[in-house]
Amino acid sequence: MARTGNRNIQAKLVLLGDMGTGKTSLVLRFVKGQFFDYQESTIGAAFFTQILSLNEATVKFDIWDTAGQERYHSLAPMYYRGAAAAVIVYDITSMDSFGRAKKWVEELQRQGNPNMVMVLVGNKADLEATRKVVTEEGEQYAKENGMFFMESSAKTAQNVNEIFYEIAKRLAKASPSRPTGMKLHNGTQEGGRRLFCCSG
Amino acid sequence: MERKRTDEFEPGPVPPARPVDRFGFVKQEENNPSQGSIKSRFVNEQEREERRIRKWRKMIGVGGSDWKHYVRRKPHVVLRRIRKGIPDCLRGLVWQLISGSRDLLLMNPGVYEQLVIYETSASELDIIRDISRTFPSHVFFQQRHGPGQRSLYNVLKAYSVYDRDVGYVQGMGFLAGLLLLYMSEEDAFWLLVALLKGAVHAPMEGLYLVGLPLVQQYLFQFEQLVREHLPKLGEHFTQEMINPSMYASQWFITVFSYSFPFHLALRIWDVFLYEGVIIVFQVGLALLKYCHDDLIKLPFEKLIHALRNFPEDAMNPDVLLPMAHSIKVSKLLEELKQEYKKKNEKPIQRAESSASKVTQKQLSARSPAFEESTQPAERSWKQTRLLSRNSRKSRSGRC
Repeated sequence: MARTGNRNIQAKLVLLGDMGTGKTSLVLRFVKGQFFDYQESTIGAAFFTQILSLNEATVKFDIWDTAGQERYHSLAPMYYRGAAAAVIVYDITSMDSFGRAKKWVEELQRQGNPNMVMVLVGNKADLEATRKVVTEEGEQYAKENGMFFMESSAKTAQNVNEIFYEIAKRLAKASPSRPTGMKLHNGTQEGGRRLFCCSG
Repeated sequence: MERKRTDEFEPGPVPPARPVDRFGFVKQEENNPSQGSIKSRFVNEQEREERRIRKWRKMIGVGGSDWKHYVRRKPHVVLRRIRKGIPDCLRGLVWQLISGSRDLLLMNPGVYEQLVIYETSASELDIIRDISRTFPSHVFFQQRHGPGQRSLYNVLKAYSVYDRDVGYVQGMGFLAGLLLLYMSEEDAFWLLVALLKGAVHAPMEGLYLVGLPLVQQYLFQFEQLVREHLPKLGEHFTQEMINPSMYASQWFITVFSYSFPFHLALRIWDVFLYEGVIIVFQVGLALLKYCHDDLIKLPFEKLIHALRNFPEDAMNPDVLLPMAHSIKVSKLLEELKQEYKKKNEKPIQRAESSASKVTQKQLSARSPAFEESTQPAERSWKQTRLLSRNSRKSRSGRC
């Protein structure tokens, strides 16, 4: 732990996006290396953890995977409140889901942690034949909003780990004394949790 | 384009036959109990089960004809028997009797057909997106566009037309799926209506409305109940910043039909249909109580995991349910409801005014579909059923 340049960072990460865009599939691919064609719908929210080791730091993700349907919107704030990173997912074969992703970005800009690392992900990139959202459109929107952008496929594993590596890198780069979203030195249980969790 | 569309809705290949449990769920590899000891126990259990079935048959009468009379005369016997579990072969029928959905069906001949065939709803795309993601490990729902998925779609679509304020909400598929394993499409539809709109009572009314107002209220009530009944654990949750919405929201949204062992879900549903949402609170508390000494030691991350993966012995219905019934919550629940209402005066008012309607125990009109319907015709409920051939076997075939 005392090694120079190696820090432990614990970060709360939330996945948001329309139903059926593949949020759970992305997480399962990242955390367990699994993929199911018919992934059971997420009701409420699910919780996962995964650790990524970089040269400069070890990042432990506390991942909240949320239910996508609009009706569940009222439950979302408690998951993104205090999050260090947000992955906003749309389905490249659905223009509606891209619209919904933009709404999430706006909401996070209004209500979220101002230092949050935000990533826009166009998932299901393997379904090129039925694509409705061109890559440039996603790219452009992400750029305008200061977000990192990637197209991925949970099915083929394309870019899935890359998304989380990029987030980890950005979290590690950010100032260690940042007040929200990170916890240094895993050992200090007391108080640390408070930095990313959310009450009420 | 048109051509392609029809192709898309052709049934997919029948999935390869794999070993399933007695409810039709594909077995997990490790589930291989040793056969020897089970056999003798099995004979005993079978005899007991047969006795129970005879008692139940007598109680409900032919096709349920004696049910109402019996419930009026001996409600405590009914309560006791339901808590012991409804025999699986009578479950579908008894659920319809308890919930009053049979009356809705009889009073509304042809309505379901109308909803399925002639109406459209804004929720259709959402429903389609979720169909193959509902009980994907059950044989009945596995085949793409197969009979199970079609029934599920029809019931959910019909409901989304019937109750446009609610439409389709993720989670309803698990309710409908559970029901479809025990009854025909039309029966399942009316049971869904009984749950969400009310026949005898409406145990889920308001749950799926915009903002999920009741879920929020239930989570508030549950948090306080934990503090009251399990103060040490409540304190531990506060310290670890565990909020009930992190683990209990799906309990309320799907009444344990999502990600809980099926045999336990069924037993909870038996009670839920008769006694209402109180059993969800009681089972939740019983689970926490059973695992109390383990949970209290765990830090945040392990705690969350444990709260979503209770050990098998905790989920034995014959242990869990008696424990649940022994936890007294009704008075406190009512107090907490008032407290929550005061705290959230404005948004609750609307839900409140509609909830009061439910207590009238009426079967009367809640939607245009009802108003158009005729007398509770003599027409047998069997005649009105349609699109149900594939699930009919599940009603009659078991005992």
